[in-house]
Amino acid sequence: MHELGVVIEVVKTVEKVAVEQQLTKIDTVILQIGELSSMIPRYVEQCYPAAVDGTILEGTNLKIEVLPGNALCKECNKVFNLIQNNSKCPHCGSNDFEIISGREFFIKEIVAY
Amino acid sequence: MDKLRVIEIKQSVFEDNDSQANALREELKRDNVCLLNLMSSPGSGKTTTLTRTIHTLKDEMRIGVMEADIDSDVDAHTIAKTGAKVVQLHTGGMCHLDADMTRQGLEALGTEDIDLAILENVGNLVCPAEFDTGATKNAMILSVPEGDDKPLKYPLMFSIVDVLLINKIDAMDYFEFDMEACISRVKKLNPNVKIIPISARTGEGIDEWAEWIRSVVAK
Repeated sequence: MHELGVVIEVVKTVEKVAVEQQLTKIDTVILQIGELSSMIPRYVEQCYPAAVDGTILEGTNLKIEVLPGNALCKECNKVFNLIQNNSKCPHCGSNDFEIISGREFFIKEIVAY
Repeated sequence: MDKLRVIEIKQSVFEDNDSQANALREELKRDNVCLLNLMSSPGSGKTTTLTRTIHTLKDEMRIGVMEADIDSDVDAHTIAKTGAKVVQLHTGGMCHLDADMTRQGLEALGTEDIDLAILENVGNLVCPAEFDTGATKNAMILSVPEGDDKPLKYPLMFSIVDVLLINKIDAMDYFEFDMEACISRVKKLNPNVKIIPISARTGEGIDEWAEWIRSVVAK
């Protein structure tokens, strides 16, 4: 359950933004999580209320956008989704690739007053 | 009622930790302290390896150890017997250490009389790989009983380390561990990694490991 520690990092960052932007109340936090990151959106959602308890984010909504885990095939130079294709290029069958997206864990934006 | 607005942040969750880690790394460099972050799964032999490492190097350099665990202080007691300076850090349920906790650990340890500080991270192959502690170098132990497929299952950990120790090679006969396949899987993820097969129990390979440590402490 390492999601909890990471969500606490989210709280720290948003608290900083809230002070800088002089926000009075935060309504929603929108995160972007890559398919290949070790964060499981369902667990992030589950631990969110505990992580934000007693902070500026208590009672806020959480939205998660999942970013695809894509790779560039080093053999045929085509882009493919790693999860859907079981880490093998569907065009040429090679498993020599470079990951181009999917490891992200971003705070995309917050909706606030 | 104030107007609702959307504030774009577009910041990696790890950015704050990364900047603290970089600041810590700079300070350690200035103070001539080498911080080695040692990671592995539970039971791979971190503490046994450390004990042997300290015995090998303690006459050449001043070593301090930070033992990080979710609970207990059994490892700290084991290390204290070597005569090295040691502090126990409790993460309070957290599965990794971040740069801020590492800084607090170094303050508790006191780095003014230390050349090499070793952080024994929480036994875990997932989260410690994602949080930069500010260490000068990252080391990892994989032990033979865990299997040669671990680089496939935990790619991030294997891709961020500077040195990989493959421990418990004295038990190779009892496990189906393909050393060659393991090394090629690791090298595919991390071409520049230094791989040293060792046995913390018999001492095999420890000389090469000690030599690697000498080279990073001297820098």
